[in-house]
Amino acid sequence: MASISARRLSKELKEIMNEGCPVGITLLKAEDFVSWQFTIQVMGESLYKDEIFTLLFRFDRDYPISSPAVQFVTVDGKVSPVHPHVYSNGHICASILGSEWSPVLSVISVCVTLQSMLASCKKKERPADNDRYVRHAPDNPKKTQWHYDDDTV
Amino acid sequence: MKVKVTNWNAVAYWHWDVASAVDDFSGEQEPCGICRNPYEGCCPSCKVPGDDCPLIWGECTHVFHMHCLLKWIGTSTSKQQCPMDRRPWVTADAGKSS
Repeated sequence: MASISARRLSKELKEIMNEGCPVGITLLKAEDFVSWQFTIQVMGESLYKDEIFTLLFRFDRDYPISSPAVQFVTVDGKVSPVHPHVYSNGHICASILGSEWSPVLSVISVCVTLQSMLASCKKKERPADNDRYVRHAPDNPKKTQWHYDDDTV
Repeated sequence: MKVKVTNWNAVAYWHWDVASAVDDFSGEQEPCGICRNPYEGCCPSCKVPGDDCPLIWGECTHVFHMHCLLKWIGTSTSKQQCPMDRRPWVTADAGKSS
């Protein structure tokens, strides 16, 4: 029997195929129900004008009960946005990807949230502990114990 | 023995009493927010809709397949909160069905 995640993701994919993605977000790759990729850019005036980033989603069999692992892609010449909540290895410190995840959220709603996180950025800088974190970071950002200490950006 | 159905007459049908979940605008019924299957369908773990895969109502008025909600409430991430409004989940008295 198909896993819960496969059933839910096939519905989400159908919706994306039928209705398209929100402006600034495009589906790059969704060949299975294990990992998907999107490109994401901020529309209009922002610190990230003309920059295009790639987001990687990884799902386990319990999605959407369990949150997806979401990060920016930093291989093949792709870079993660310079942002106070985004580490240079692509990992993102955002509460909705961790303790504030809810199963009524979706892949697209996560994309939109991250897009607006970038759009509202006031100053392009890495998190203060970037070097320390990146040196020992696990491959999967879900294995990191995040501390959400700033809800202004 | 092979049986061929040539005709049938429906005398009744059932649906869950989730009037509030019908979108006034489109008239379409919203699905369970967790699995995105229709309420009248069943959760992804079940095969047959009906009493064996019931709905559960919260005092916050949000409705889910019971199995979907219980899976969520069983995780530590849920903090026993409603997935929609993050208020503490309190099951409403007596599920209603018609």
